[in-house]
Amino acid sequence: MGLSALARAGAATVLCAAFLVGCSAAPTEEPSSEGIDGVQTYGDLSRDHTEDPVDYPQSPPVGGNHNPVWLDCTGTVYDEPVQNENAVHSLEHGAVWITYDDSVSADDVAAVADVVDGQPYTFMSPYPDQDSPIVLTAWGVQLGVDSVDDARIDEFLTAYRQGPQTPEPGATCESGMMP
Amino acid sequence: MKYLTAVVAAGAALVLGLVLGALLLGGEATPSDTSAEAGFARDMSVHHEQAVELAFIIRDRSDDPEIRALAYDIINTQRAQIGMFSGWLQQWDLPQTSTAPPMAWVDHGHMSAMSDMPMDSYDDMPGMASDEQLDELREAKGIQAERMFLELMIDHHKGGVQMAEAVEPLTDRDEVEYLASTIVQGQQAEIFAMEQMLADRS
Repeated sequence: MGLSALARAGAATVLCAAFLVGCSAAPTEEPSSEGIDGVQTYGDLSRDHTEDPVDYPQSPPVGGNHNPVWLDCTGTVYDEPVQNENAVHSLEHGAVWITYDDSVSADDVAAVADVVDGQPYTFMSPYPDQDSPIVLTAWGVQLGVDSVDDARIDEFLTAYRQGPQTPEPGATCESGMMP
Repeated sequence: MKYLTAVVAAGAALVLGLVLGALLLGGEATPSDTSAEAGFARDMSVHHEQAVELAFIIRDRSDDPEIRALAYDIINTQRAQIGMFSGWLQQWDLPQTSTAPPMAWVDHGHMSAMSDMPMDSYDDMPGMASDEQLDELREAKGIQAERMFLELMIDHHKGGVQMAEAVEPLTDRDEVEYLASTIVQGQQAEIFAMEQMLADRS
């Protein structure tokens, strides 16, 4: 066990030195579309804590300064709109936030809730002011879809929950604020 | 000419590195997205997350040094192990989460206690407390809260042991076998300790 672990570490070093890639210690990558059609990416997002309201350029916000308290994002289904400033902190922790506007039927909202409920690093809430009926947001990335049946919803969840764009890999979705 | 020599040397070094790397890595295929190892890492992370949450709840509500020390221990150990699971998935170049059902990786024949797998919800994994039980614990006080915590955590640990035992026959990866066996042993020892603590509070 010790020897094979050592061998693997050695191999990783050799490969790393040979290619001069994957050597960086920085765990967080710039947001990328991960090959999913329609994903918008946003870099250079600030990450300060503030108790004040924040004016976010995107709707819903994709990152930026945020409240010190994050929202519970352990597959949590919120029936009412949530505070942007708390939700953005959950994005920093690697959560995907699914929002829907008034055009989405009750049946489709229930179908989205079925996707979200109890899933790690996931939460959903209504969001009246957005450009697509359903919007998926993670830190620095966003995708609007028209239908709950869109296959890109699963792709987005898989790519971005605690994905490579997460500013704080390993941060928790538990013990946040439950409004 | 000097330039050409340097290029050839660099190329040779690259090939040597590749060959060495392939030799050293050889034999062990990296686990796939649907492997038992990946499923175990993801599902056990969710399981551990709830143990950490339970321990934080009681540590915020109890002033009993023994309970607070146990909670501190569980928080740190299980949080660190969540990091190890996450590290494996990163090393294996796999997503941290999956939209596949929880416990889909388990060998049904092997785990009679968990026959209805895969499951609909992470809350159905063995030993998981329900949202209602978490809320009850948040409302409880004093020795009643301590007893409730111990009962929930004993069940949670028993489920954790089951899950770790389930992956052992399905993997030959050293890092997975090692951590699974330490989880089985460590949580069994803590179950014994918590049963004593529960008896002390009856």
